[in-house]
Amino acid sequence: MPSVSNDEEAGRPDVPPHLLATGVNKRFGGVEALCDVTFGVRRGEVMALVGDNGAGKSTLMKIIAGALRADTGSFAIDAEPVQIASPHDASDLGIRIVYQDLALCENLDVSANVALGAEPVKRGWGFLPHFLRPLDDLAMEETARDAIDRLQVRTLHSVRARVGNLSGGQRQAIAIARAVGADSSVVLLDEPTAALGIAQTRQVLDVVKRLRDTDHAVVYISHNLRDVFEVSDRITVLRQGRNVAVYETAQITPDVIVAAVTRGLEEATADAA
Amino acid sequence: MPPEGRPSVAGLLGLLALRFQLLRETRFGSFGPVLVALAVIWLWFGITEPAFLSPRNIYFLFMQSAVVGTLAVGLTVVLLLGEIDLSAAAMAGVCAALLAVLLLGGMPAPLAILAAIALGVTMGLAQGVMVVFVGIPSFVVTLAGLLGFQGLMLKILGIQGAINMRDPAVRALTTVALPPAWGWGLGIACALAFAAFALHDQMRRRARNLEADSVAALCGRIAFIAILVLAAVGTLNNYRGVPLLVVVLMALTAILGWVTTSTPFGRSLFAVGGNAETARRAGMSVRTVRVAAFGIVGLMAAIGGIVGASRYASVSFNAFAGGPLLLEAIGAAVIGGTSLFGGRGSVWNAILGALVIGSLGNGLDLSGASAADKLMFSGAILLLAAAMDAVSRRGANFTRGGGA
Ligand SMILES: Nc1ncnc2c1ncn2[C@@H]1O[C@H](COP(=O)(O)OP(=O)(O)O)[C@@H](O)[C@H]1O
Ligand SMILES: [Mg+2]
Repeated sequence: MPSVSNDEEAGRPDVPPHLLATGVNKRFGGVEALCDVTFGVRRGEVMALVGDNGAGKSTLMKIIAGALRADTGSFAIDAEPVQIASPHDASDLGIRIVYQDLALCENLDVSANVALGAEPVKRGWGFLPHFLRPLDDLAMEETARDAIDRLQVRTLHSVRARVGNLSGGQRQAIAIARAVGADSSVVLLDEPTAALGIAQTRQVLDVVKRLRDTDHAVVYISHNLRDVFEVSDRITVLRQGRNVAVYETAQITPDVIVAAVTRGLEEATADAA
Repeated sequence: MPPEGRPSVAGLLGLLALRFQLLRETRFGSFGPVLVALAVIWLWFGITEPAFLSPRNIYFLFMQSAVVGTLAVGLTVVLLLGEIDLSAAAMAGVCAALLAVLLLGGMPAPLAILAAIALGVTMGLAQGVMVVFVGIPSFVVTLAGLLGFQGLMLKILGIQGAINMRDPAVRALTTVALPPAWGWGLGIACALAFAAFALHDQMRRRARNLEADSVAALCGRIAFIAILVLAAVGTLNNYRGVPLLVVVLMALTAILGWVTTSTPFGRSLFAVGGNAETARRAGMSVRTVRVAAFGIVGLMAAIGGIVGASRYASVSFNAFAGGPLLLEAIGAAVIGGTSLFGGRGSVWNAILGALVIGSLGNGLDLSGASAADKLMFSGAILLLAAAMDAVSRRGANFTRGGGA
């Protein structure tokens, strides 16, 4: 059986994960997308999640973000058991996500998309129920502008531009800007560089490093092993919905990952022997 | 692939679509097409029929468009979700019939009006629940509603099929006009309030170093609204004054306009209409929003029913459920520029769309056109508006393809 984690061999066994998901199972009809998966990420580290297409990476991320319910599975933040039953639960726990499909509303402008689901309202309207209080448009635009400035998307000049008119790279930047806003502790990035050119990919990698340096727990999914080896501290490998192994990035080579992704652990270790 | 350098039909169409789309891009720009349509119609009938632009005719034009406008404003809210409500006119009929029967039975007008509104909201919410929780397409649920509520209206009206409306309070809604001085005061107050809000917003944008409109655009917008409002007040004052009905409908539209564009609820309407899965993942309560939207149609249908009962001085099957009211209301919303695909539109556009439909009917009546001509003209205008909607949506797809 593949080992769930080889932390013991891999140093820093003392540092507990900030976010820990254990025993996660998820079926889609006949497809077993996740089978007894365990996944953890510490604060101040970038955990890469790699695996072939269909390995279950996105499904796992959606479950942690509350967008999907796991069939079974338990979650803990700083060893404290928590419920993640809805996107609200996840965002209340400080979990932010960039979905692989970006999940933007093309009919809304940039600032509305950055604030989506957490729109600020003006103060002094307490006599109205929250859903009928006036939106604070200016605060939304400020937040969006600052977030996008931080990402240095020079081609995006207006936070009032409609997202439907923007390029793939600009959209990706907006999705990232939405996730890296204030007060988050876990940031999940599901193939955030898939639509990006070289320069923009560099900026995203810088954002990832900055998130790590500000003590976030970062999960980074990518098929580009060069990027993975550049930014990650550890690498979790999934294969056909199951854990293969967790590696310390500094102690392995890309070949090990390729073998684990394509053939699983036994074959990979057999290879190495 | 068309050969390089030679303009292809598809390319030209794409360019045209892009134009449309850019035109509709801004909040204010979305008024463009419907305002042009309205201007063309008014210009044409103003030249060919001298009576068309007389204060008296304008007054009746507003009154004639009121019921259609009320329903169109409500329908806009479900259209924003990409849903439809075919039962709006039938709900209006049921509410009007209930109002008439209750008043006939001696209930005080305010109570009867509240009962009619409560019934409308309940009918709307019930259909919303069927759509959202049972999962039947809104087209089918509200088609069933259309049939069922027509029957219910006939049941409430009883064997005569029509009840006269004599209650002075209800009648006052469509017979009272404001004294000219009040009309001017209200018009000027509205224009000043609009200017004050716009200036305040721009000043705060500048203070916080956010994108602001150019001074020319700002002044143009304020001048445009002020001229529109004051011209309307002046014209109406030349006949009987600003009708109470117009004031009530403008106030209702302003409230709904505010709710749909400037509150978390309104933002989720647009988000769900644009991409329901995204809205769900962002933590919005998609189901509640969708049910509420159908409730709002019911509310506006009830108000439309009350307005109709007041204006026709009677409640009859043909004035509501049996006639062209529903199609005119949907037409008004679409002509106003609200997309049938969801995610784009505004309640103010619905009012303008209702004026287009009303003006067309009124002008064709004046020029002695037959009912057949009127139907064909209305059909052509609706088709044109829907085509613009579809083409400008294609425009969005063209830019997307070219962007990434
Ligand atoms: N909504 C869904 N309905 C049915 N099957 C799904 C759904 N989402 C994912 N799957 C299946 O689950 C498996 C894992 O998918 P996914 O998590 O997207 O993989 P990855 O992101 O690693 O490429 C795949 O076999 C996929 O077909
Ligand atoms: Mg994926």
